[in-house]
Amino acid sequence: MLEISSTPLVIIAILGTVGVLLPIISIARKEKDSNSFYAVIAFAALIASIGYVAYQFLADNILPSALFSEDVLVDDAFGGFFAIAMLIVAIFTTVGSFNYMRKKNYPAVYYSLILLSTIGMVLVAYSTDLVMLFVAWELMSIPTYVLVGFMKKNPSSNEAALKYFLFGALSSAIIVYGISLSYGLTGSTNIGEVIQGYSTLDPSLLPLALLSVGMFIAGFGFKMGLVPFHQWLPDTYEGAPPTITTLLAAGTKKAGFAATIRIVVLGMVVLNLDWTLALGIIAVMTMTIGNIAAIMQKNLARMLAYSSIAHAGYILIGLAVAPYSSLGLQGSLYQILNHAVMKGAAFIAVAGIVTTLAVTNIDKLKGLGRRMPITSLGLVISLFALAGVPPLAGFWSKIMLFGGALDAGSTIWWAPWLAIAGVLNSALSLAYYGWITRKMYFEGETEKRISEPKSVIAIMIFSIVFLVGFGVYPDPIIKFVEFAAPTISLGIMP
Amino acid sequence: MAAEVLGLPFEVGAASAWLVWILPFIAALIMPGIGKISKHATGYAAVGFALMSAISAVSLLPMALEAHEIHDQISWIDSIGLKAGVLADPLSIIMANVVGWISFLIMIYSTGYMKGDKSITRFWFWMLFFIGSMQLIVLSDNLLQVFFGWEGVGLASYALISFWYRDKKKDHVGTEGRTVLGLLDYYSPTHAGMKAFIMTKVGDVMMIAGMLLIFLFAGTFGFRELMHDTSWATTMSAQGLLVPAFILLFGGAVGKSAQFPLNEWLLEAMTGPTAVSALIHAATMVKAGVFLVMRLAPLVFALSAAGILADQFFEVILLVGATTALLLGLQGMVNSEIKKVLAYSTGSQIGYMMMVLGIAGLSQQFVNGYTAGFFHLISHAMFKASLFMAAGSLLHVVGSRFMTDMGGLRKNMKKTYVFMWAAGLGLMGAPFITTGFWSKDSIFGAVYTSGHEWAIPIFAIAVLTAVITAFYTTRMLGLVFYGSKSKHIQKMEEEGHHIHEASLSMWVPYGILAVLTIAIGLVGLSFEGGLHELFTDYLEDSFGIHSVHNEIENSILPEFLDGINPVALAASLSAFAIGTGLGYVFYIGRWVDPVKFVNSNIFFYAIHKVILNRFYLNAIVYWCFVVAPLWLSRGVFRYFEKTVIDYGMNNGLQKAVGWSAKVVQGTQTGVTQSYLFVFGAGLLFVVLILLI
Repeated sequence: MLEISSTPLVIIAILGTVGVLLPIISIARKEKDSNSFYAVIAFAALIASIGYVAYQFLADNILPSALFSEDVLVDDAFGGFFAIAMLIVAIFTTVGSFNYMRKKNYPAVYYSLILLSTIGMVLVAYSTDLVMLFVAWELMSIPTYVLVGFMKKNPSSNEAALKYFLFGALSSAIIVYGISLSYGLTGSTNIGEVIQGYSTLDPSLLPLALLSVGMFIAGFGFKMGLVPFHQWLPDTYEGAPPTITTLLAAGTKKAGFAATIRIVVLGMVVLNLDWTLALGIIAVMTMTIGNIAAIMQKNLARMLAYSSIAHAGYILIGLAVAPYSSLGLQGSLYQILNHAVMKGAAFIAVAGIVTTLAVTNIDKLKGLGRRMPITSLGLVISLFALAGVPPLAGFWSKIMLFGGALDAGSTIWWAPWLAIAGVLNSALSLAYYGWITRKMYFEGETEKRISEPKSVIAIMIFSIVFLVGFGVYPDPIIKFVEFAAPTISLGIMP
Repeated sequence: MAAEVLGLPFEVGAASAWLVWILPFIAALIMPGIGKISKHATGYAAVGFALMSAISAVSLLPMALEAHEIHDQISWIDSIGLKAGVLADPLSIIMANVVGWISFLIMIYSTGYMKGDKSITRFWFWMLFFIGSMQLIVLSDNLLQVFFGWEGVGLASYALISFWYRDKKKDHVGTEGRTVLGLLDYYSPTHAGMKAFIMTKVGDVMMIAGMLLIFLFAGTFGFRELMHDTSWATTMSAQGLLVPAFILLFGGAVGKSAQFPLNEWLLEAMTGPTAVSALIHAATMVKAGVFLVMRLAPLVFALSAAGILADQFFEVILLVGATTALLLGLQGMVNSEIKKVLAYSTGSQIGYMMMVLGIAGLSQQFVNGYTAGFFHLISHAMFKASLFMAAGSLLHVVGSRFMTDMGGLRKNMKKTYVFMWAAGLGLMGAPFITTGFWSKDSIFGAVYTSGHEWAIPIFAIAVLTAVITAFYTTRMLGLVFYGSKSKHIQKMEEEGHHIHEASLSMWVPYGILAVLTIAIGLVGLSFEGGLHELFTDYLEDSFGIHSVHNEIENSILPEFLDGINPVALAASLSAFAIGTGLGYVFYIGRWVDPVKFVNSNIFFYAIHKVILNRFYLNAIVYWCFVVAPLWLSRGVFRYFEKTVIDYGMNNGLQKAVGWSAKVVQGTQTGVTQSYLFVFGAGLLFVVLILLI
């Protein structure tokens, strides 16, 4: 049994209570247009949660990455790591919404949904049971369907929500199918027992086990935006409110990775198959298609959507080489944390630009560096961090990922090619990041500065400090990642 | 230690060692903020911070005199075992004091020199950044950190040399319209900044290559760690990589210290404000190279003593230093811009230091050459800073950089006249009363007694350079202060300008340094003796370099000259006499007109022209590395780029990318049914590749 003071339970308690209470309070208050009131409450709840996770880490109450447990949840470093990344994203979303949701309807419901979805994301990372994981998955997904379509008078928001919902439903169905297969094969839904069962499986049942793993890849791959399960993603990211896009791109996507690492990577290790090549192929396809498509985009949000597909590819490199090099998973985790901040900051910057200037077309961003200097600086730094330019934080995580691939090269011949593809793709991505930068700083007449939303400024400053600070001094994060990354090797038994 | 008594959680000495370089950086960072409040306050703040940094350096001095050493490290990037740290040993502590105090005086001078400049905040920012980077180089305990400071110095020098970025005519250097080999000998500040940046970058690239090479074998960048376990050197030496690695590192020093063949940027660096020139030439930048060699030389020598021979390293230093000393000294004799004369002189004097460090490694008595080099560095820092600042005053007052536009100023600017003579005597090496004499003499002694096979030719070059130095210094003083007033000054006076002394904040700093040149000069021999003793202990303790104590047969010289080599003494006395005498004949007494003398026969004329055209080195560098590549790139662009690359590859590649992007986009139809189809197909695909 989990203790009552264990991290996931406390987070459920804090966020769940606040999330449920918010709409009730709004009915009681009968006041309209009090966005910031609810935002502050939601913000406080999130800060309390992240504070509790941090406290648990500092007080050494957290187990090293356990991955398996007899319970449905485990309070380990792996879950804690993801919880921190996701809570940062949720905080970004909430703070960004201070400005974005001003004078819009139903703020209480909006924040309540964000909190509920956050609980779902965090629980996915902590789950050690397939059913628990599925419940958490749905808890994460369903509020986001609503949130994507939150601007109900806006047709593109509606279209985005519909597409997202259809694909979400499909992928949920596929995940359930995968779960049912594995339950049928092993008689358990506990991940540890499932994997144990797989390792002693009758060879004639192997194709079924493979099918279940394929189902998991496809189901989680939908959230991660892996090619070819990515097509809903640009449409949804573009149509959704930009703050919610932040939540999707930087948050729920990571839940997909958490689930994949918990089930697929570890599960397939025991299946003793040449499965890593499959992930490698998907990784290369994902980053290449993401980057190539991003080059042609005229819309900033859509471009970032494709760039986030490409980043899923980079992260997947680490998963593909995980059995051969301990740097693989560490690099993935590192990139996940960095990506949460980089992409979160970039989308919040877009939200700030949309609310003040009502443009997302890149051609219209001329001279933005003078009109909105802090937002532009934050955007440019996050873009360059995404491209992995030293000495920003993104550099170290990419180094670790590509280093992991090279390291794995001594065991498996194709691994270095992943690193090469990754480097080429990073170079390719500089083309469109550089293009945006040029538009913002080197084109356009000198224009007057306009006032930037304070909440956006706060996030920009936090991200700049984070990206530059941990770029110059990456040590704490590297240590954290080393602590949080599970060590796996071929033939591991739970 | 004292810290334990006080109950402090850190060692006081270590803290002040950190502060020496951190303070200027902090000051630089807050400078824009202060500038927002009051432009006036920036000057006080900058000087104040420079003073605090210098005081931190002084607080370390007792440690140096007791030959203690502080080595304080903090973890930097633990995962790859990198540590950041300060290493305060006698070498770096004394150097930090030289840098700190001279920078402080230059900062005071700048408050007067830069008065009323619109971009004063930018000026202070970069000056402090410059000082901070230099102190970082001095106090670092590892090569990587040195490299950070190294790049900081490069960046700051770029920003300061092209400080007057509007490229006004008066800020250029060179003579307008004059060409050498068809290239203009006339440079704008922005061009000069770029030139300095790129030329020193060549050295930097070599340096980082050398650094990484050593890291590859040793697994550390730390100076003490490299000394502690020398197995890496054995391995590298066995593969023949040790000497190349060290020579690559020396390449960095060649670039920063403007040594042959990367010397040409130094002249154009004169486009910066004079305070910047003083800083570059006396305390920072060019001294960084010498300092790096001083950091590395004992290590290499200790390796040699352990049987890992690296003589070629010292031979390269020796030859580069000697060549530079003579080459740049000669050019100083003919130039007509006062700052350029001083710049040539700096290059030449730095060459001296390199030369003697090279000879130190090749002789048995390492400490002699080592001390001589460092002593000369200190004395040069004092008189050269003083001379530059005084030259800045002249420029300020006269409004021209040409010495031919000055003349007869000794009555109008009495203080500058006296101080410039005092500092100038230091540069000339006036016997027995100036630091320059003693330091130069110890260089001569170290070279002469080294016992190396090249000792005599090198000694001859050193003495010849000393003659040249005395000559051009006298020439400079003569042209500026003696004779009749030039047309330029007469015109100024007719227009109602009053030629007057520079302001208090300007003459006091160079006055102090000029007086110090003489004051320390008076006790020069015992100063040198103290330094010698200190370094003997230091080299013994830190590197295990023993020095043989040998008494010099000293029957000819009077007792107070104990320890001086008679041949060296005779050489430096006669060099001073010949050089100054010739200078006096031409420029102070003006018994012979130098112009007529040069034009009197074709031989002198040709020599003069070659030297004036900088031995055509600059022109050759430009032809080879600027003009030709530009021409080539235009040609390539016209004939190759436009046809093969553009039509073939570029357009082709672009089209291919564009086409594939379109294909990718084409699949993005927006129709949900087709998305679902792809999703399903993808699932099938995944299962299939899993089954393979």
